[in-house]
Amino acid sequence: MEIDLIAVQLFTGVALGAVFVLLSTGLSIIFGMLGVVNFAHGAFYMTGAYAGVFFLALTGNFWLALAAVPLLIGALGLGVERLLIRPLYGRGPDYPLLLTFGLGYVLVEIVRILFGTDGVPFETPALLSGGIDLGGLGYFPAYRLFVIAVTAVILLLLWLLLARTRYGLIIRAGARDPEILSILGIDIARVWLLVFGLGTGLAALAGLLAAPMRSVNPEMGVAVLVEAFVVTVIGGMGSLLGGAIAGMLVGIVVSLTALWMPEMSTISMFALMTLVLLIRPQGLFGRGLAR
Amino acid sequence: MRQPVPPLESSASADTVLAAEGLGKRYGGFVALADVSVAFTRGRLTAIIGPNGAGKSTFFALLSGAATPSSGRIRLEGADIAGQAQFRFARMGIARSYQITSLFPELTAHENVRVACQAVHAPARRDLWRGRSHYRALVEEADAALAQVGLLARRSRPASRLAHGEQRALEIAVALAGRPKLLLLDEPTAGMSPEETKEMMDLIARLATERTVLLVEHKMKLVMGLAERIVVLHQGRLLASGSPDDIRVHPEVRRVYLGEGRSGRG
Amino acid sequence: MTSARSEAHEPTRAQRWRVPLVAAVLAVLPWIAPSQALAVNILIYGLYATGFNLLFGYMGLLSFGHAAFLGAGAYGAGIALARFGVGWFGAIAIGVAASGLLAVLIGALSIRSRGIYFSMVTLALAQLVYYVAFQAESWTGGENGLRGLTVSSLRIGPLSLNFLDPTIKYYVIFGFVTAALWAISRLLNSPFGATIEAIRENEGRAQACGYDVRRMKLMAFTLSGLVCGLAGALDALHLSIVPIDTLYYQTSGLAVMMALLGGAGTFLGPFVGAAIFLLIEDSFSLWTSHWQLFVGAIFILAVLFLPRGAWGTLVAWRADRRA
Repeated sequence: MEIDLIAVQLFTGVALGAVFVLLSTGLSIIFGMLGVVNFAHGAFYMTGAYAGVFFLALTGNFWLALAAVPLLIGALGLGVERLLIRPLYGRGPDYPLLLTFGLGYVLVEIVRILFGTDGVPFETPALLSGGIDLGGLGYFPAYRLFVIAVTAVILLLLWLLLARTRYGLIIRAGARDPEILSILGIDIARVWLLVFGLGTGLAALAGLLAAPMRSVNPEMGVAVLVEAFVVTVIGGMGSLLGGAIAGMLVGIVVSLTALWMPEMSTISMFALMTLVLLIRPQGLFGRGLAR
Repeated sequence: MRQPVPPLESSASADTVLAAEGLGKRYGGFVALADVSVAFTRGRLTAIIGPNGAGKSTFFALLSGAATPSSGRIRLEGADIAGQAQFRFARMGIARSYQITSLFPELTAHENVRVACQAVHAPARRDLWRGRSHYRALVEEADAALAQVGLLARRSRPASRLAHGEQRALEIAVALAGRPKLLLLDEPTAGMSPEETKEMMDLIARLATERTVLLVEHKMKLVMGLAERIVVLHQGRLLASGSPDDIRVHPEVRRVYLGEGRSGRG
Repeated sequence: MTSARSEAHEPTRAQRWRVPLVAAVLAVLPWIAPSQALAVNILIYGLYATGFNLLFGYMGLLSFGHAAFLGAGAYGAGIALARFGVGWFGAIAIGVAASGLLAVLIGALSIRSRGIYFSMVTLALAQLVYYVAFQAESWTGGENGLRGLTVSSLRIGPLSLNFLDPTIKYYVIFGFVTAALWAISRLLNSPFGATIEAIRENEGRAQACGYDVRRMKLMAFTLSGLVCGLAGALDALHLSIVPIDTLYYQTSGLAVMMALLGGAGTFLGPFVGAAIFLLIEDSFSLWTSHWQLFVGAIFILAVLFLPRGAWGTLVAWRADRRA
């Protein structure tokens, strides 16, 4: 009985962790490449969930939404980088951060105007609404399994992109030393543009995937921004593997704390972060001193 | 980690300000500096030279407290200070300049130096209430340092708006602040034109008449006429040390360094 | 950081007169502001943004967690008043002390991280404080906020002031704010003020010159927290309640916006920024509930085109003309 409960909760934690992983991955690649901490990341996540609401209302097809939302919000990200963030390069890291903070405000208000200030329901797609019995350990909601699977696939694709393709080579080289790319005649501005779009697309995907599990409202981005920061601080900025492991860790810690001390569950991740800061300020997988 | 090393009688004496004893630094498996023992005599100008990768920068970092040695000791007037924080090195009277200009850009030239004077003046450093001008002596000291490097006329100009040569001079003035026991200069002529280099060397010669100066320099020719004593590092080890004349005829030095020096280095 | 200028070793005329100047403007503010409520908010949030600016503008540390200190001041004073029946003055002192203590804790943790990390860590720790206050309902009133701390009269020796009178309330708060500004101005003119500017300009060199940079950062962080705590305590007295939103992310962002709109790294900038922000809120919220859209957009434009802020640009322009 107890074991079952723990297993189910552990599983819930992994599903929650999957969302954290997607979020922190987007945050991390933007930071690693552009040196920009995207304070609008939570707002893009929220926008992704609402874009999902919109597509679902329009087409009634979850799968269509799943394909369209990351592209749409990713395109929004492209516009943001091109028009708002690009003029700020070379002015120090604080300015893009401040700008994205203001952008978060604007995105939240636009969503409030379009969809109202109250939350909206988001149904689990019919195909995934049931539970699946896993080896007698208990019933696991199919949708959460799906979220975990999608995250795993995305991570795998990202890893292939970064480790096995020319683009990945460019991105990794650019993250280390942007000058090298200009010497090689590669248009660094374009790489930055695409990376920002990729990061915001990932945030939107995370928002859409999380929508049936967590509530959809204009403020959902704030809590999640903080969660993504906590994961990033624990994992170490700029490390994909660190982000993935820390995301899972936070998801599991939050879920297990909810089992025994529900009132402490949101607080538990901060305790974990504090512990990491005390022992290893650069994060579990961060290299050397934090930037 | 640090093995006890007995003081070297041969190199250290009552006139020694700073002494390195068996100093070494490893980065992981890489040995950047090994077993270097040198004593720096009060009132003298010593130059540390060596080809690229000789360990000059590491040695400089250790002596200025910017890095912690893996082995050996650093004695300031006899007391072992290795392992202390960098700011303590400064407070104990070891001041450094930077090879790449490192100033407080938005502060005026005067504030750049005054703030450095204040750092080694405990009552001022701890004061949160009285005005900055309450510490008259620091203001005068800062102006004196500016005058020494010929920047007094520029005292009210932000450091970022000084010409390159002026910034290099301010770099020295900041290091002069607080009348350090030992002045460590890291390639002060780096990136300078021949005329600027000449001026800087004249300035260093003037400063060295009343101070203990330690100069890390890549260009050997520059220091030969200036330094009273030369320390040569090679591949992280002490190769030779002595008067310029000794060094000039030292067979090992000629082999590893002078040969390179003629092929257009620096 | 594009700071408009730095403090000179001899206080300039502007530096000597800045506190009397701001005091004079604030003294007549109730008569020129659209409403008395707005005037009080400018006082309190101006002080809050000034406290934040101590850390951001003068030391270059961008904290996204200053709501925690405003909140600690407000809750500290509020709990002292409502739960323990402490006098109004004692309550303010307790509020300030509480925020100072919290600032030491959060500061000690967050200054272990540098640059952009610092912003994330301060935000996360402030959010932690928010969640804790949210949970600790018996102390803080949780989601409903802390209530029942109405102060109707202030006893100062033999004197008894009617705190319900808006004008008297304004000038009492004015007194605290002016005193705090005077102290901050002295602090910035002191050697310590020079030290934090030097650290903002070049941390490594400051360390090499003999400054214990970590300790200085913690001190600046704590002082900044104390100032924001005072603002929070005054806010609690003013509102007679402490809403849970005091601790929320957006309140932290408020300080950032105000300081930047007015001019980070200038003495009066945060006050100017607070006035701008609150005026925008005041006038736009009359005709739309979505006034934050405009605030956000104006902030974005400021970051892009007026990074020195309204006041900071003015100061820099004057300095350029003189040079």
